[in-house]
Amino acid sequence: MGPARCPEALRAASAVLLLIATFAFGSSASRADDRFTLDGDLDIRWVHATGDLSFLNGGLGILRFDPDHEGLELGRAFLAPNWRISDLITLHAVVDTYGDHNRNPVDLSEFYFAVHPFPSGAVRWRARVGAFYMPVSLENRGIGWTDVYSITPSALNTWLGEEFRTIGAEVEGRWLGASSGYLGDFAIIGAVYGWNEPAGSLLADRGFAMTDRPSTLFGYLGSPPLDFYHEVDRRPGYYAGLSWRHHDRLEIRALRYDNRADPGAQTESGFYAWHTRFSSAGARLEPGEHWTFIAQYLDGDTVNDDEGYWGTPFLMSFRAAFALASFEWGPERLTARYDTFRTHQPSGVYGPPSNDDGHAWTFAWTRELGDHWQFVAEWLRIVSGFPPRVELAEPVFQAQTEIQLAVRYRFQLAW
Amino acid sequence: MTINVVDHDGHGVAEVVATATPSAGTPAPAADPKSSVMDQRNLAFLPRVLVVGVGTRVDFPNNDTVSHQVYSFSPAKRFQLPLYKGEIHPPVTFDQAGLVVLGCNIHDSMVGYIYVTPAPYFGTTTAAGRLTLTRIPKGDYQVTIWSPFIADAPGSLSRTVHVEGDESTSFALAAALRARPEPRPRRRDWDY
Repeated sequence: MGPARCPEALRAASAVLLLIATFAFGSSASRADDRFTLDGDLDIRWVHATGDLSFLNGGLGILRFDPDHEGLELGRAFLAPNWRISDLITLHAVVDTYGDHNRNPVDLSEFYFAVHPFPSGAVRWRARVGAFYMPVSLENRGIGWTDVYSITPSALNTWLGEEFRTIGAEVEGRWLGASSGYLGDFAIIGAVYGWNEPAGSLLADRGFAMTDRPSTLFGYLGSPPLDFYHEVDRRPGYYAGLSWRHHDRLEIRALRYDNRADPGAQTESGFYAWHTRFSSAGARLEPGEHWTFIAQYLDGDTVNDDEGYWGTPFLMSFRAAFALASFEWGPERLTARYDTFRTHQPSGVYGPPSNDDGHAWTFAWTRELGDHWQFVAEWLRIVSGFPPRVELAEPVFQAQTEIQLAVRYRFQLAW
Repeated sequence: MTINVVDHDGHGVAEVVATATPSAGTPAPAADPKSSVMDQRNLAFLPRVLVVGVGTRVDFPNNDTVSHQVYSFSPAKRFQLPLYKGEIHPPVTFDQAGLVVLGCNIHDSMVGYIYVTPAPYFGTTTAAGRLTLTRIPKGDYQVTIWSPFIADAPGSLSRTVHVEGDESTSFALAAALRARPEPRPRRRDWDY
């Protein structure tokens, strides 16, 4: 995001959203049936950042903003239409703008049909077809995949937002316990998808990062620009997951992801297949009115270039985890989170291995101001070791700090 | 007749269904199905536990700002109310005795209970754990209590009460109550 482009993007996004918001005041009074709803969000920030130029701007920094991109910034603007086509079928989309280097200034993040038949027994079936986030993050639970506890999601969920979108079909079978006297439920989830072979390439190149800038379906991320949603080997991938909810107070999720890519495959246009697999498990506990505790873990590996430039394949293993505590009272919320992450290349075939090893602390304060406005302040410090910094004559270990003050205007229209 | 329900700490238990069925030899009134209401407010069924006589017609007005899709797959009454707000659906007739567990196909945390009883006298306890049934003729009655939150064996939740005047019977629960769901108010959660 060039300093000159930002105010332009800000102005454009503000104008569009405020125009829609004007209609919002007219129509929200007569909410007929909400067959069609439109959620919108405009997030404008004051940012102060230290350390390297962000990878989003061509550097090796692993935060969203950097000393060349601070001050007044567009955090994000999105519209999320939701259309109940029939009682059982819904079409949901998220249209995003971040005002950065994206090829498409406005782009889709999600677009899918959801089918939710009435339960006819204790097991309720649901299906989604299209492009959507997989059910793994326990912190990105706001509409548009926003993190409701802080501005920036954990390193683990940042990465899942950057390189992964399910483009395919997902089915969930959920056993509803209420009719058997148990106030909780249990679900098995499975999905088959394509167009996800480049997943893993950004992590291999850069390591983990912490930004609230997920990829969009057709756009670019970062500089040099990367895009992720290509079909390279015509082999579908899968994920399978479990979810257990107990009394609306505890949710445990586990997921196994394998894109089943052929690591030797590539397209004529130069997209390589990365065979990426991981397991993720996490729990969210909300014991009372005020507290939320989340812990989530991810562990996996990725393989590219079966033959290998040096005769051995490029292999990288990775793992990341975080623990979060959040206290909510009335319109306010305080959150603290600790992140740890590591990538490792056993083969180390390319120059200085792009292994990273780091941790981060995040503290956020959120304040709701009526139904439409929200204020969020976040302090984030990330410390990481990354050998390729040597090539820029920089120390391998670096700390980066980011302070963000966000003002968000949110609305919902219903017809 | 007054029915009291207290937990193992001696506190009154609210939202407990109590029914009184005349024993053989005690006159029973003619069935008189009425109408009743199961409201929806703040993403919850209100009341959470409703007791009705067999044949009762129940309205399901939605007073939330969002739509609901109410359903039950309980054997005593299978039904579904397509997406709605306000009061567009005709009442549902509960013509078979038994427990009907309600859900919303959009909001999983919404759970409600309709207890359909053939007994002529019934009600639910107040916050103090008390229910008074009036205009009950003299005689013997089988008094039964039920709640989704009571964990005691059903055998201990039913007894015969002889009514002469203003009798009072008290059920002291031995087992701890099951946790009551108190969904946390959520702001715009979508849950991925």
